[in-house]
Amino acid sequence: MCGIVGFLDKNQRTDFPLGRTLLAMLQALSCRGPDSAGVALFGGRGEMRLRLSVPPETDRQTLSNALQEEGLTILHSYRTGVHDVRIGAEVDLTKLEKRIQHRLPGSEVLCLGEHMSLFKQVGSPDELEAAYRISTLYGTHGIGHTRMSTESRVDLSHSQPFWAHGVADLATVHNGHITNYHKLRRRFEQEGYRFYTENDSEVIGVYLRDRMAAGRSLEGAMRSSLEDFDGSFCYLAATSDQLGFVKDRYGFKPLMLAETEDFVAIATEEVALRGALGRDFTAHEPAPGTMRLWSINAETASLAAG
Amino acid sequence: MPKQLPSLPAKLKVENVPVSYSIDCRDKSTREINELLRQAIADGQEHIDIREPDARHNLAVALLRPVRVVFAGSVGYYCGGMMDGATIEVHGSAGWGAAESMLNGTMIIDGNAGSGVAASIRGGTVVVRGDAAARAGVSMKGGTLLIGGACGYMAGFMMQKGRIIICGDASDALADSMYEGVVFVGGQIASLGNDAVIEEPTAEDRAWLNEMLVTYRVPGPTAFRKVVSGRKLWNFDRRELEVWRAAL
Repeated sequence: MCGIVGFLDKNQRTDFPLGRTLLAMLQALSCRGPDSAGVALFGGRGEMRLRLSVPPETDRQTLSNALQEEGLTILHSYRTGVHDVRIGAEVDLTKLEKRIQHRLPGSEVLCLGEHMSLFKQVGSPDELEAAYRISTLYGTHGIGHTRMSTESRVDLSHSQPFWAHGVADLATVHNGHITNYHKLRRRFEQEGYRFYTENDSEVIGVYLRDRMAAGRSLEGAMRSSLEDFDGSFCYLAATSDQLGFVKDRYGFKPLMLAETEDFVAIATEEVALRGALGRDFTAHEPAPGTMRLWSINAETASLAAG
Repeated sequence: MPKQLPSLPAKLKVENVPVSYSIDCRDKSTREINELLRQAIADGQEHIDIREPDARHNLAVALLRPVRVVFAGSVGYYCGGMMDGATIEVHGSAGWGAAESMLNGTMIIDGNAGSGVAASIRGGTVVVRGDAAARAGVSMKGGTLLIGGACGYMAGFMMQKGRIIICGDASDALADSMYEGVVFVGGQIASLGNDAVIEEPTAEDRAWLNEMLVTYRVPGPTAFRKVVSGRKLWNFDRRELEVWRAAL
């Protein structure tokens, strides 16, 4: 049992308090799982960055030197051992993750892109706020997750949202079980994809990446996942300019949707919609076996941190 | 089909009882809200208004007195479950399992209902003015479920008694493996479930449907189709092995 949320501001206001909205939604769902929490916020284009977690014993000089040799510069360091890193224009993104991990064993690239800001950690949404003050962040759309672990370990790496490694600005959150995960993983690993966790949810990003690499749109990839994934699941995917959901064919996992002239809000339970957005809208449960995707113009929006 | 149709639910007897007690859910836990509600009922309050429910779960479960409880907003999971004789109105939507296993009473949901509304009810009436999600009225053992809009798949799955009225469209596998009971559909039926068959509504059916729509002020279509059990799954028959293979 986990809680997932998504929000898209149709007015694409640059001053929309997206972080506050996502946090309120997650707080309302925190009883669905206190193990970890996270958000991925999207806004207009910024500089190419990545967010990197390193083992606590890594000393600052070693870190700086290793990154410098890859053309990377630390912009900000959080107390949690996570660092915002600028990627120079000349840096070859191919296998950048692999090179970083070679230089910094035990490190993990949590997200990479020009539009996305992804924060996650072990603990409740309140603890996420205490560590990263996500309520001060702005953006046009985003997703969030609060986790109750059932199969894999509880650590930063297994927290969600998951960045789809290898695709800038693509993140997913998931509630449920992909029961043919091992079969899919085995196939993808044979094709050369790397998995970073033991969490079945990770396969969603790999699947979307694979289908998009084969020429499908995000919408097409999400639609085909309804056939290719088994189990009970609802997941959300977000990119620089799109937000969508997929609900399994049996409708075993709850998901509520509210759409008005101003916003699209999606959450595992309606309590999250009411807690964050009030009462002046109706919500309904999408039919089993459905997906929907909304788009915005990513170039006119901006992502800013207060 | 039962020969004797049960009498219409009378106009809500408690409809005009003035509000005698209010509960504001803000800053209260679900347990506190339900304790206040139970205490109010024990004190003899007949019309209880519950404000700002904000889609919280497990509210007003197992009410056993003929009181009227009105939620000024949406409720979460299992609202009104296992009740016997109360009238619950939801001025908003309801989450999963609204009125589940109700014995008797009335639940009226102005908005949409999540999965499993009126599942396993034994009596009473559940009205959803909006749409109902998947598995509406599954395993009903009596009572009536009236849906003003459309409903999701597997509505009426394995129902044993009672009636479902769907004014809008019905999704796939309607009335799958139903033993008894009847489902009326005003809109399109995406597909019938195993052993569900369509038969012509009687004049008695039409009169009852009209009265239900009028009583609960639900705008409905002029004509309904009637879905009942084909009864081929009642007893195993080797000659109809294919029917069983498809159902199982």
